[in-house]
Amino acid sequence: MKNSRIAAASIAAAAAFGLAACGSASNDSSGNSASSNSSSSSAAGASAGSSASSGSSAGGSATCFSGSLKSSGSTAQQNAINQAIAAYTQQCKGAKTSYTGSGSGQGITDFIGKQTDWAGSDSALDPAKGEPDKAKASCGSQAIDLPMVVGPIAVIYNLKGVGKLILTPQLTAKIFSGKITEWNNAEIAKANPGVKLPSQKISVFFRSEASGTSDNFSNFLNQTDKTDWPDQHSKQWTGKVGQGKKGSAGVGQAVSSTPGAIGYDEWSYAITNKLNMAEMDSGSGPVALTAESAGQAIAAAKVVGTGKDVSLAINYNTKAKGAYPIVLATYEIACLKYSNPTTAKNVKAFLTYLASDGFQGTLTQVGSAPLPKSIQQKVQESIAAIS
Amino acid sequence: MTAEAAPPGPGIPAKYSDAHSGDDTSPGGGLGGIDHGKSRARALKNSIATVLIWGAFFIALIPLVWILWTVLSKGLQPVLHVNWWEKDQSGAGAPAFDHNLRGARHAIVGTLLMGLATAVIAVPIAVLTAIYLVEYGSSPFARIVSFMVDIMSGIPSIVAALFVYAVWVTTFHWTLLPIASSLALTMLMIPVVTRSTEEMLKLVPNELREASYALGVPKWKTILRIVLPSCLSGVITGGLLGLARVMGETAPLLLLASYTQYLNQNLFHGSMAALPTMINDQALNINVHIAEQRVWGAACTLILLVLGINLLGRLIGHFTKVKR
Repeated sequence: MKNSRIAAASIAAAAAFGLAACGSASNDSSGNSASSNSSSSSAAGASAGSSASSGSSAGGSATCFSGSLKSSGSTAQQNAINQAIAAYTQQCKGAKTSYTGSGSGQGITDFIGKQTDWAGSDSALDPAKGEPDKAKASCGSQAIDLPMVVGPIAVIYNLKGVGKLILTPQLTAKIFSGKITEWNNAEIAKANPGVKLPSQKISVFFRSEASGTSDNFSNFLNQTDKTDWPDQHSKQWTGKVGQGKKGSAGVGQAVSSTPGAIGYDEWSYAITNKLNMAEMDSGSGPVALTAESAGQAIAAAKVVGTGKDVSLAINYNTKAKGAYPIVLATYEIACLKYSNPTTAKNVKAFLTYLASDGFQGTLTQVGSAPLPKSIQQKVQESIAAIS
Repeated sequence: MTAEAAPPGPGIPAKYSDAHSGDDTSPGGGLGGIDHGKSRARALKNSIATVLIWGAFFIALIPLVWILWTVLSKGLQPVLHVNWWEKDQSGAGAPAFDHNLRGARHAIVGTLLMGLATAVIAVPIAVLTAIYLVEYGSSPFARIVSFMVDIMSGIPSIVAALFVYAVWVTTFHWTLLPIASSLALTMLMIPVVTRSTEEMLKLVPNELREASYALGVPKWKTILRIVLPSCLSGVITGGLLGLARVMGETAPLLLLASYTQYLNQNLFHGSMAALPTMINDQALNINVHIAEQRVWGAACTLILLVLGINLLGRLIGHFTKVKR
């Protein structure tokens, strides 16, 4: 009798195991696809920016790896990376790359704490916080910043009946610092002749966690209007008004559900949430956010990284006609040398795909912009040096 | 309460008789009610109380039914898909640009595996602790252990997770593995199972033990062959209920288990998805239709899993009951 009882219990356990065990179908490695696609491998990095199929819609051919990669960080590039992972796994069935959108700050923490293979961040490693040294200690070699996706920051708003809103950097700084609190403020009205602004309170939304989007946006405010935004740029939002929301998606959702709301968010989330985006007037006429207008601003960015590091300095004060000034370059932060050669090979394969024309060409579809050619080439050279 | 109300009170509609204790006054009132006016006042009070209690009952029912209805109406459709149980989320792109539901096998398997690993670690410890406390526990040490179990059951789940994180990552600099989440869940499961097992062991009549001793059976054999078998069903039920509670736990997973869209069946490698983390991941984009479906599908699956395990526990309890 006792035996039958134990049998009952073990059947229950076995049933639970059984469900787990018979799911190995998607677990097979894909050695064949890895070998068939190795023609455009890492060696092509230096000169062959355009050699990797330019016209293909699926995202070009890639060097495959099989195994798993783990990464986390910026939510601004999450949409782009998810698309990249989807396209990459279509070609390379055994490549399991996962990306957790936890914010740039968390991404760097995870990377330094050896929890992930590379980090996604909207800001390069910050020497003021000793991040490069910590990453170096964790990698055992230099950690390099590789700009990969250009993510314009949209100033999104939710105002019934106002389909087009023009803001200047000064107005933006005043709104986000709480100096302007009503939508029908005279200064906003002056920038928007002919638009009927409602008498409504402005609800400001910002990112609650350490975020590269906040870092870049506050940098923009500080560089363009020091009197209204005296704070230095910071991953942690320093504004005194409004409400914090977690993640790019969180801000997008909050603005879309709150009448009278304004916030800053990566472009793709503005598209996802079907939100109105303000046009920015930096002195030479209002500029709407498009791939071209954002590309103009990033093309003027200077490479300030040394060696294999490609960190960029963006000039937010650009007065160039038709340039949308608030852009961020989101980086992949990786070790130059990995202690585990397999990880190095895998990271290299995936980053090579990210920097390829095949993938960069698809970026505008997800609301991001591709890297300018000159920067893309530098990034490819650096990726080729990863070992 | 049910025992009190079991004999139907006179003068009360039979369908109400076992639902509440509010009518306990009226049988007394009916029996001793000589004065008509008074009994009418009592009848009035009785019906008011009845209405109030039924009202409270329905108010308490509203959120429960509401939740179940929302989850089922929104989540049943994806769950009924074959793909949902057979495929993982590999190949999923950004939610707004992806129109394919895909499956939740990675999360279902992850939840079951983590839960099972938790049970494998927690149940033996908990059962042995309970046996010690009930059968051997009269020393000051046993009182300390009992006190500690109380403290442990009061630990918020996020603190258990923080503890594991502090040891695993901050102290040893290891990469987080799926088993780390199981360890945190173990700390939550041990006190629950210990307490339920303790109750079960206490229910075993002392006469059984004494009869066994009288036959010259040593104490360890008495526990193993007499005490445990006669309360085994309760112990198993307690274990499964503890498992069901732990499987829906979210806080430790948020801290310790990073979400991945791929099926992983190795608790000691990589990262493993679970249903709560899948919900958390997809909920960020809940205003995108496909992500919304995944969220409610995963919520529905989780409820179904927990319900299934609860039922399994009761069934095992029912069929392995020792007939006295």
